[in-house]
Amino acid sequence: MKFIQLIFIFLLSIFMNTTFAAVKTGNNVPEFTLLDSYGNEISLLEFKGKTIILEWTNHGCPFVAKHYSSENMQNTQKNAKEFGAVWISIISSAPGTQGYVTSEEANNLTKSRNAQPDHVLFDEEGTIGRLYDAKTTPHMYIIDAEGVLKYQGAIDDAGGRGFMSKDLSKANNYVLNALNEIINSKEVKDHTTKPYGCSVKYKS
Amino acid sequence: MKFRTIIKKLNILIAICVSYFPTVHSYEYQDAGESSVSIIAESKTFEAGDDLLVGLSFKLNPGWHTYWENPGDAGEGASIIWTLPDGIKASKILWPGPERIPVEPLMTFGYEDEVVLLTQISSNKNIDFPLKLSAKISWLTCKDICIPQEAEVDIEINKGEKNLNKNAVSLKRVLNTLSKPFPYEYRLEKLDKNYFLQFQFEEPENITNSFFFPRDYGVLNYSKIQNLEKNNLSVSLELPVAEVQSDHKRLKGVLYIEEGDNVNYYEINTPLINEPQKELNQSIGILTAIIFAFIGGLILNVMPCVFPILSIKILSFIKQSGGSRQKLAQHGLIFSTGVLFTFFLIAGLLLAIKSTGESIGWGYQLQSPVVVSILIYLFTAIGIVFMTNLTIGSQLAQLGGITKNSSDLSSSFFTGMLAVIVASPCTAPFMGSALGLALLQPGFSSISIFAGLGLGFSAPYLILSFNPSLLQALPKPGEWMETLKQFMAFPMWASAIWLLWVLSGQVEILSVILVLLGALLISLGLWLLERNQLTSGYKKRIVQACLLALLGLSLWLIPTEYQNNNKDSYMNQNYYSPEKVAALREENKSIFLNFTADWCITCKVNEAVALSRQNIQDTLKEKDITYLKADWTKKDSVIASKLAEYGRTGVPLYLLFSKGQEPIILPEILTEDLLMNYLKEVPK
Repeated sequence: MKFIQLIFIFLLSIFMNTTFAAVKTGNNVPEFTLLDSYGNEISLLEFKGKTIILEWTNHGCPFVAKHYSSENMQNTQKNAKEFGAVWISIISSAPGTQGYVTSEEANNLTKSRNAQPDHVLFDEEGTIGRLYDAKTTPHMYIIDAEGVLKYQGAIDDAGGRGFMSKDLSKANNYVLNALNEIINSKEVKDHTTKPYGCSVKYKS
Repeated sequence: MKFRTIIKKLNILIAICVSYFPTVHSYEYQDAGESSVSIIAESKTFEAGDDLLVGLSFKLNPGWHTYWENPGDAGEGASIIWTLPDGIKASKILWPGPERIPVEPLMTFGYEDEVVLLTQISSNKNIDFPLKLSAKISWLTCKDICIPQEAEVDIEINKGEKNLNKNAVSLKRVLNTLSKPFPYEYRLEKLDKNYFLQFQFEEPENITNSFFFPRDYGVLNYSKIQNLEKNNLSVSLELPVAEVQSDHKRLKGVLYIEEGDNVNYYEINTPLINEPQKELNQSIGILTAIIFAFIGGLILNVMPCVFPILSIKILSFIKQSGGSRQKLAQHGLIFSTGVLFTFFLIAGLLLAIKSTGESIGWGYQLQSPVVVSILIYLFTAIGIVFMTNLTIGSQLAQLGGITKNSSDLSSSFFTGMLAVIVASPCTAPFMGSALGLALLQPGFSSISIFAGLGLGFSAPYLILSFNPSLLQALPKPGEWMETLKQFMAFPMWASAIWLLWVLSGQVEILSVILVLLGALLISLGLWLLERNQLTSGYKKRIVQACLLALLGLSLWLIPTEYQNNNKDSYMNQNYYSPEKVAALREENKSIFLNFTADWCITCKVNEAVALSRQNIQDTLKEKDITYLKADWTKKDSVIASKLAEYGRTGVPLYLLFSKGQEPIILPEILTEDLLMNYLKEVPK
C-alpha cells in the first residue's frame, strides 16, 4: 500500500510542477536512488541502521556560500560524522541554473571548501527535492536508523532579516541539537523549523 | 563567490565614500548591483518634538525583486540598522503590501521595480541640530539567483518648520498603501483540510482579485491557488494549509483585495480553529483538572441542587457544636468519606458502563426513572422528618439492626452520599471539561479527578469539624433550631416537586401519579412511626411491619421503564436528529442546536433567561436559523455520542451552525446579550 502511495506521489510530482509531497517529521521517509559525483548509484536503503543527514545545496547561493566560507557547514559535517551519521549533499539545481555542477566541479568544490559529505548526489530533474519538499538552500533533513524523519528545516536559527551580517558561530545549530537528542534517545525538541535561504533552482 | 566579494568590496568603498563626502549622498541612489537604495524624508527641516516620515527607496533592475517581511518559501526581507543621535527614535519598518513573485514551483512575496520601506522618526525636545539620520541596510536582490547587498545612507535634517517637499507626496502615497485594519467582519473556518477566510465586503461583486499573505511560517501553503468565491453578501477565500505545520494559535497576515484599479491591503488577525476534541485535551492537563475539580467541588456547596441537603448537615453541626471535639471531627470525617465513597462509586459505575461500550454521561443517574422516584420518596420523607419529631437516622438504623451508637455516624455517611447524588446535575457548567477529561482518562487519573471533586465538596465541613472554634461563630442551639428544621422541610419538598417534573419527562402521567401515591404511602408510614415512637413490644413490631409494607408498596409503584409521554409531540419537528442536521447543512441553512435535559438546572435557566426571550426568538426567525432541541432527559445514545464528539459528557451544550459551516460551541452559561452577539455573526 505504502509502495503504491509512493509511486503515486512520484508520478504526481513528475507531472505536476507545483505539487509537493512533504514528509512529516515522525513519518517514514520515501526511499530514493540517485547518482553521486563518482557515478555510483546511491540508494537511501544502503544506510539503514545509520543516522542520515540530507543537505540541499547550491554553491552559488549566498546563504550556502556564507555557511561554507564561515566554515559553519564544514564544522557541522565534522560533528555529525563524530556522531556516526552519514552526510548526503543533494543538488536539485536544473541544468543551466545556479548551482548546477558537473561531477568534476562537484568534487572540486568539496575539495576546495574542505567539505566532508559522504556523498554528493545529483537531482537535476528535481524529483527528490520535490518529494521531500525541499524549498531552500540550505534545507536540512535528519533521518534516524529506522528510516523515520526526525528533523527538517533550517541548519540553525540565524535565518531572517540581517542574516548576512550575523556571526554563524554564535547561532543555535538545530541540526547538531537534533543529532545530540537522537543519540541520547530523546525526543527532538525543535523537530520542524522554517528553512531559510535561496529558493531551490528547480527545473520548471 | 568572486562576484559577491566584488560587490561587498564595492559596497564598503561606497560606504567609505559616502561617509567622507557627506554632501553628495542625500538624494542620490546608492548603486549596489542589481538594485540601489536612497533615503528620503518628507521634509529636510523639523522642530524638536516633531515626527518625521522617512523612507528607504529601492530601485530594482527589470526582472529583479526584493522581499517582504515574510519572504515566502525562500529569500529574506531587508534589514535596516539605524544610527541616530540622542533623543531620536526610529519605528520598525512599515512594509507596503507585497506582491506574489513565483519561482516555480515555489512562491515568494516581495517587490519588483521599486519599493519604499517607511520608518517613522520621532524626537523629544532635547535634540541638537543639524541631525544626521543614518541607516545601514542589507537586503537580497533576486532574479533566478540572489545577490546579497549592503549600503549605508544618511540624511541631514535641520532645525526649522516642517516644509513638505515633493518626496512628501510620494511618501504619503506609500503610506496609503500600507495594510489597514479590515473594516468588515471576518472569520476563519476549517473545512476538510483547508482554511476558508470568510469576510463581508461592501460590494463583493467588484472584487477582481484577492490573496492572503500570511506572516508566519507553517500555517498556509504559499504556492497553491487561493480560490475566491463571492456572493452578493460575503466572500470566501480558500487558504490551502502548509504540508508541514508549526504551532500557531492565530492566523496573522495581510489580505490583498483588488477592485479593478483600486488596490488595498488589510490586516487580518484571527484565531486558528482547532478540532474541539483536541482543544479539550490540550487545554486541561491532569493536574489542572484536579485543581478545577476541587474548586468545582467547593462551588457545588452553594448550588441550588444541594442546598437543601446541606442545610441538614449544618443543622447537625449546630446540634453537635456542644458535643465533644472528637465526636465532631469523627462526623466530619464520616461525612467526607460518604461524599468520596459516592463519587468513587459513580466514577466506578461510569467507567464500568463506559467499558461495556455504552455511551453515558455525567448526571446520567437522573436519567433513570427509578433513581428519580427514589429521590422523590427520599425528599418527601426527609421533609416529614423535619416537620415531626422523628429521628430518622436512628429509626432507619434500628430497622437495619444497627446499634444506636453508630447510628448518628451512619447518618453522616448517608448525608454525604445523598448530597453527591443530588449535586451531580449541578456540576456541568463548572465541571464540564474536567469531567469530560476524567472519563476520557484511564482509571487512575479519572479517579483522582473525582477525588478532587469530592474533597472540594467536603472541604468546608472538614475544616468546620476540625476547628470547633469556627463553630462558635454559628448561633447557639436553642428553640429556633426546631423552627429552622421545620422550615427546611419546604426546600426538601420543593426539590421533590422538581424531581417530579423531571420524572414527568420520562414516564406517562399515570406513573407520575403512582409515584405521588407512593410518596403518600411513605408519609403514612412515617406518621404511624411518629405516633408510636414511644410504644414498645408487639405493638412496635406491628408498626414496623406496616412501615415496611408501605415502603415495599411504594417501591413497587415506581415505574422502571421509559414510557412515551408524547408531551412535546406538537414540537416534534424541532427535535434533533443527525439526519435533520445533515439535511439542513446540505441546504446551507443555519442551525441552533440545544442539548438539554429537564434535570439540568443550568439548561433550564439558560432557556429561561436567554433562549426563550422574544428578541432571541425574533432574531432566530429573521436570520432563518432553525432551532433544534436534543433532549437528554431520557437516556439516548445518539445524543450521548454527539456530546462525546464535542468532548462533553453532560449537558448543556449549544452549537451554532452558520450557513452549513462547522459549528461554533457557545458558552455553557448563556445570557441574552451574549447569545445575541453570537447570533449577530450569522449571515442572513
